[in-house]
Amino acid sequence: MPRSQRRLDRIFDALTAALVLVVISFCLFPLLWTLLTSLKLEQDIVTPTLQYLPRAITLDNYVTLWRQSGFPTLVVNSVLVTSMTGVICLSIGTLAAYSISRYRFRGRSQLLIFYLVIRMFPVVLMIIPLFIMMRNLGLLDTRVGLALAYTTFLLPLCIWMLKGFFDAIPPELEDAARIDGCTRLGALVRIVLPLARSGLVTTAVFVAIVAWNEFLFALMMTTSQGSRTWPVGLQLMVGEFQLPWGPLSAGGILSVVPIIIFFALIQQSLIRGLTAGAVKG
Amino acid sequence: MARLLERVALISEGRMWAWLLLLPSLVLVLAVLIYPVGSGILLSFRELRLTRPDLGTPFVGLRHYVELFSDPVFRIAVANTALWAVIGTACQFILGLISALALNRGFRRLLPGMRLARVLVLLPWVMPSVVAGHMWALMLDSRLGVINDVLVRLGVLERYKAYFADPDTALAAVPVVATWGAFPFFTLFYLSALQGIPDDLYEAAGVDGAGAWLQFRHITWPLLLPIVVATVVLRMIGMVNAPDLLLVLTGGGPGHATQVLSLFAFQTAYAEFNFGYAAAISVMMMLMLMAFTVVYVRISGVLKE
Repeated sequence: MPRSQRRLDRIFDALTAALVLVVISFCLFPLLWTLLTSLKLEQDIVTPTLQYLPRAITLDNYVTLWRQSGFPTLVVNSVLVTSMTGVICLSIGTLAAYSISRYRFRGRSQLLIFYLVIRMFPVVLMIIPLFIMMRNLGLLDTRVGLALAYTTFLLPLCIWMLKGFFDAIPPELEDAARIDGCTRLGALVRIVLPLARSGLVTTAVFVAIVAWNEFLFALMMTTSQGSRTWPVGLQLMVGEFQLPWGPLSAGGILSVVPIIIFFALIQQSLIRGLTAGAVKG
Repeated sequence: MARLLERVALISEGRMWAWLLLLPSLVLVLAVLIYPVGSGILLSFRELRLTRPDLGTPFVGLRHYVELFSDPVFRIAVANTALWAVIGTACQFILGLISALALNRGFRRLLPGMRLARVLVLLPWVMPSVVAGHMWALMLDSRLGVINDVLVRLGVLERYKAYFADPDTALAAVPVVATWGAFPFFTLFYLSALQGIPDDLYEAAGVDGAGAWLQFRHITWPLLLPIVVATVVLRMIGMVNAPDLLLVLTGGGPGHATQVLSLFAFQTAYAEFNFGYAAAISVMMMLMLMAFTVVYVRISGVLKE
């Protein structure tokens, strides 16, 4: 390769690296700023001239949040709703995705397309009848009701993702097991599910992240402390506290930490699963 | 228990097995999706106000729809929705494409730190919209905001600005926040599509003397196009359907300057409990989305293959 070409390559490498750095800074700055704010004293947040770095690091905001806003209850509610959503979506979604992945029945492709089209349904159009339905069933303002409501948009998503993971497992393995006398159910339980384990975990974590973050359904369907989730509680804090930036930032950081941990754990197989199944908008 | 398992195993050999596996999901989808959407559409032809139980739920025909066409807020919301979805999606697409191209080049040239960069770029996308909203509200605050401070120091602004109090800046600030949260969606898909393009194609083009632009124009872009069409549709739908960010940042204000259809429908349902009218707004929104999708997919011609 000529020398000038190599120099050009190096210049472009530097530009590439610079561009990536700029994009990453754009992505991370809001998170870092929130973290800094959550560690500042009140007088460092509300200042006549902006105080960039905290003059003293304090955990006061976290203590205030934990003690005064009922945050622990909110987190417990969120954990329960999230796990229920995960269990429902994953158990029912696994069966459906396996069936779609392995069997060729009439209406199969229509069903798949239908599961994509439903994301066009406006959220509010679903929320209103669900609200009425849950109220009639006595499930309004309960954690079970909210978890069921979440399956409206998460189950189809889950089926698409899981189908992609099942498609990646060669059907020959099941055929071999069947020749050895395994039933179809046996082949599913003993061969396919263990092989799809990482896909199942990935889908579960993805469903959990979306359910954990969800705000609109939760705002509409919960009215009391008993079932309210943290995004709703955090939003309502804005009215409760005067200038709530400190505790609000602390709440943001606390609720985001589990997401970052889980995301870091599964990101590689998540990227594969999402891009294969083409999903979350 | 063992006997039950045996019987299920026996059933699994039967002809209905594929459908039996689907049954739970179909029942659930019917109950929490088809039924609600269907009754939502029917509801748009009825009166239902939770605050006025005395009115009952009479059939009102197309009255809500007629009312919509003379509702000035609805008109503003339609215009804003189009603006917000198109500008927001365009910004996200451009930033997503650029960052994917940069990361892809980084990976191909084996630059250090690219794996970490790929993870960090995706972080905003998994952030809850409530937290994203508050983070940016804090940074854009009219008295304590770091963005104001930086801009004043750089001499771009003379004094601090209240971004969400001025209709123009409010309408410009919200798409920035939406872009932060959603551009990684494009990065994710485009990067994985780019990484699937074999090196030989570029090498062959390089031998033939094609420069970076020609390579992009004749290799990268055509191979990327199908996924571009699909992701843009999905993202547009996402932008039109999700009022969360606007709800947190502006609540549709100042006045109705940042009102969009999804938020208008949600507020009509949540704050006024006027369910019939809210359903009519949602139905109109759904029809517009469907029309957009059909036209867009036709024009881009991806389904021809």
